[in-house]
Amino acid sequence: MRNVGIVGIGYTPVFVSKRKDVSIAEMISEAVDAGLKNTGLKPEDIDAYVFGNMATFEGVNMPHLWATEYMHARGKPIMRFATGGTIGMAAFHGAYYHVASGMADIAMAVTYEKHSEGDAQVGLMGIITPEVMAMLAAGIDVTGQSGMGAIGGGSAGGISFQASSYLHRSGASIEHIDAMAALERRNAAKNPYAHLKDPEATAEKIAQTPMVSWPIRFGHICPTTDGATVCIVASEEKAAKIADKVAWVLGVANCASDATTANLIESQITDPAEQLPAIIASKKACERAGIEDPKKEIDYVEIYNGFAHQTLMYLEKVGMCEVGEAHKLLEAGELEINGRCPVNASGGVVSTNSIGTSALNRVTECALQVMGQAGERQVEKEVHKAMAHGWGGLMQYCTITILGDKPKKL
Amino acid sequence: MDKKVAIAGFRMAAAPDLETTRERLVFDLSKGLLDDLGIDRDAVDNFVLCSNDFMDGRTISHVFLGPPAGGYMKDQTKVEMDGLNAMIYATMGIISGQYDVTMVLAMSLTGSQASPYLYTDYSLDPTYDRQLKLLNELSAAALEAKSYLAANGYSEELLDVVASQNLGNAAANPGQARRIDGVSREKVKASPYYYEPLRELHCYPPTDGGCAMILVSERKAKELTDKPVWVLGMGRSTDTYFLGDRDLSTSLSAAQAAERAYAMAGIKDPRGEVALAEIMSLFAHQEPLLAESMGLLEKGKAAAAYESGETAVSGKMPLNPSGGPLGGHPLCASGLIRAAEAARQLRGEGGDNQVKKDGVALVHGQDGVCAQQSAVVILGT
Amino acid sequence: MEEIKDTFLHPAVPLDFQNNYRVGAYMQRYLDGFKEKKILGAKCSQCGRVVVPPRKYCGDCNLVMEEFVELPQEGTLENFTVGHVVLEKGQLNRAEAPYVIGMVKLDGASNALLARLQVAPADARTGMKVKAVWQDQVEGEYSDLDCFEPA
Repeated sequence: MRNVGIVGIGYTPVFVSKRKDVSIAEMISEAVDAGLKNTGLKPEDIDAYVFGNMATFEGVNMPHLWATEYMHARGKPIMRFATGGTIGMAAFHGAYYHVASGMADIAMAVTYEKHSEGDAQVGLMGIITPEVMAMLAAGIDVTGQSGMGAIGGGSAGGISFQASSYLHRSGASIEHIDAMAALERRNAAKNPYAHLKDPEATAEKIAQTPMVSWPIRFGHICPTTDGATVCIVASEEKAAKIADKVAWVLGVANCASDATTANLIESQITDPAEQLPAIIASKKACERAGIEDPKKEIDYVEIYNGFAHQTLMYLEKVGMCEVGEAHKLLEAGELEINGRCPVNASGGVVSTNSIGTSALNRVTECALQVMGQAGERQVEKEVHKAMAHGWGGLMQYCTITILGDKPKKL
Repeated sequence: MDKKVAIAGFRMAAAPDLETTRERLVFDLSKGLLDDLGIDRDAVDNFVLCSNDFMDGRTISHVFLGPPAGGYMKDQTKVEMDGLNAMIYATMGIISGQYDVTMVLAMSLTGSQASPYLYTDYSLDPTYDRQLKLLNELSAAALEAKSYLAANGYSEELLDVVASQNLGNAAANPGQARRIDGVSREKVKASPYYYEPLRELHCYPPTDGGCAMILVSERKAKELTDKPVWVLGMGRSTDTYFLGDRDLSTSLSAAQAAERAYAMAGIKDPRGEVALAEIMSLFAHQEPLLAESMGLLEKGKAAAAYESGETAVSGKMPLNPSGGPLGGHPLCASGLIRAAEAARQLRGEGGDNQVKKDGVALVHGQDGVCAQQSAVVILGT
Repeated sequence: MEEIKDTFLHPAVPLDFQNNYRVGAYMQRYLDGFKEKKILGAKCSQCGRVVVPPRKYCGDCNLVMEEFVELPQEGTLENFTVGHVVLEKGQLNRAEAPYVIGMVKLDGASNALLARLQVAPADARTGMKVKAVWQDQVEGEYSDLDCFEPA
């Protein structure tokens, strides 16, 4: 095992609803060039590329082929991953293993989504195409509000089951979700690469947004965003030459359960708020990173929260607090940028969601915090170790990355 | 590369229409392989799946493929390109020291799709090529074939020779999907044109199929198999997307990928050291084109090599003794099947198509139009 | 165990994917040129390569191409194929009549353009000079440049 460190990242200049001025490939190039500029690397320095996005959302299959020259990747290996919402982190793990195995010294993970060119909700409906077919064939109502039919509301329809189960089990209330969403929109206002920003956001303001599917309000839901992110990783030897500050990868892990997690398939009743994969993946990642108690040792967390209740829920699942404790930390102000357990200083996915980038942005935002380069959104406490989380698919897949300011002892 | 990662076992399936579901295909391959090795899924610590959402017809298709593969509550990821890349990624995980036993599983039901070629259409530049509707997998391959034949002064008959040799090998391989007895050059030539110079029997048949492979660390190899096949070298590269920028008479991606794999495996004279090659040639001209680009055949002398029997199972440089993708091409699985077929040869299980030579095996996989991307793996015992 | 019989569904997927692709500034210039029956390429300031249609990067130099140049309407047929089939929505069907698709290298361009050729298949020759044929009415769309024919 070789040590691997993040030496630089690159974002598109903005993350917004519609980038009308560029094509998909051109938008990708903006992030790639930003990454090269930030690290002072030249295209020839990159040994390998790893690429990820959700191809069906824009209807372009394997877009890395078209975008090869826009990434300066001619003559280079490119490996494409696709794992749903977690794709950004799956691609990051891909880049990590390229360097950890010695197959590359410097690798770049490239991710993007240009939601304005497709329909993410139709794309998401595509997950269950065969099931919808089977139900139609059997004469079952697929537009109803029970079981499968609930996903007619796109991902918000399905996720509301998770949110209501979480509230029931944790003792949190819908007002806590409002407060969490408000906190993140305020954080987003400090992040130049965030989409929905509101420095004046309050729980009361969020509470006035329309109910979409109880307990999920419009104000709890992520936007669809156009944007691209790259992350450059290097071996220990190379990293020292490239960057003064390096965010070292201490441990990576992922875990998948099955489609029944979403409580929607074939009438199997499971609890979508149980999230065993998040528990298992975070335990594995901590073990690999040599962390015994994440509560004590991890200073900063980025949670993949397409919906605001997930920040609270996953803080509990990844071991940052006990079950039922997250909303109390929120009430005590500990989750704020100046709190004891700062989370999503970036504004999280709930403020910015270009899906391909979303799980990678969790890693890059943790890296910026570890490197002390997060600008206005830099948290008050010193960040020595940070944890990035991603979830995707039918709520059945989870990825974790743990970063630190010192390389791992091998 | 040292002997760090080995293929412990594999299972393949291919047919024009397997008449099965994706989930059951995945389960049968995975369970079959675990049974072959006498282990259960608890012995596997990582699952690298490989399929394509466009071909599967649903978003994030691996949600449904992970559990039948045995990946429930396990480390899992999905590579969305040709399966040889999934194998390379699995190998990286083991070399890095993170994993000991990894299941690679690639599949698609390409053969039973109503629109098998839609997959490639969707991979074209949506702002240009998809609007013009001139470029597709077959027209691009035809332009490549024409360019290759013209640059080397080969006649169209070379395509018939290559196709009949491949289809002959495929007929003798029970694992292949397109098995036609006694395919003569004349029979190939009698098949109708798609895009000139490519005829129906010069092109791959869309195929249902999959491949499961278990890769293991050196430590585990001793426990799990008496016949380890070692991964000795790996290389990949990417050419430009733009067809009008490329020299279609050769393959830059294959040349670069092979060069990197040779360097890793310490191969200096591919023509002397490679005992056989399994090449992902989707169209007849691609087998000699790619073999020349990878230094397996002398440039400009491919026609003579085929005529003299050099490329036959019994020849000096056997190409696709399995019958290659002209005998069956399940998208995503195709390159991984090439690796499994090469491993079968190295284990001496090649049956009627067994190559009786010592040396290493070269495996090639590709993605994109006219092999925009190539992956090469060198295997040895 | 009793053999389980699978039910197979062959539905036409009712989900309607609506895409609206942005062509970006480079392709927009190309299409704007069509309004005046002009073919524009992009030129690399370092190696001097001219690519058509124009695009942002020179892949050889990994540099942004900033200069647009107008190309002549004539060129050479570098390579061609005669199509006997058509692929529509991924399905393979026989063509009504054979047709020619060619790769045309415009004079002064460094790469070839894929185009339909208005020539009998038997008369197509690699190396022949060809010229652009425009629609009478041009509207800044890809279809404005109808095809190429022998010069």
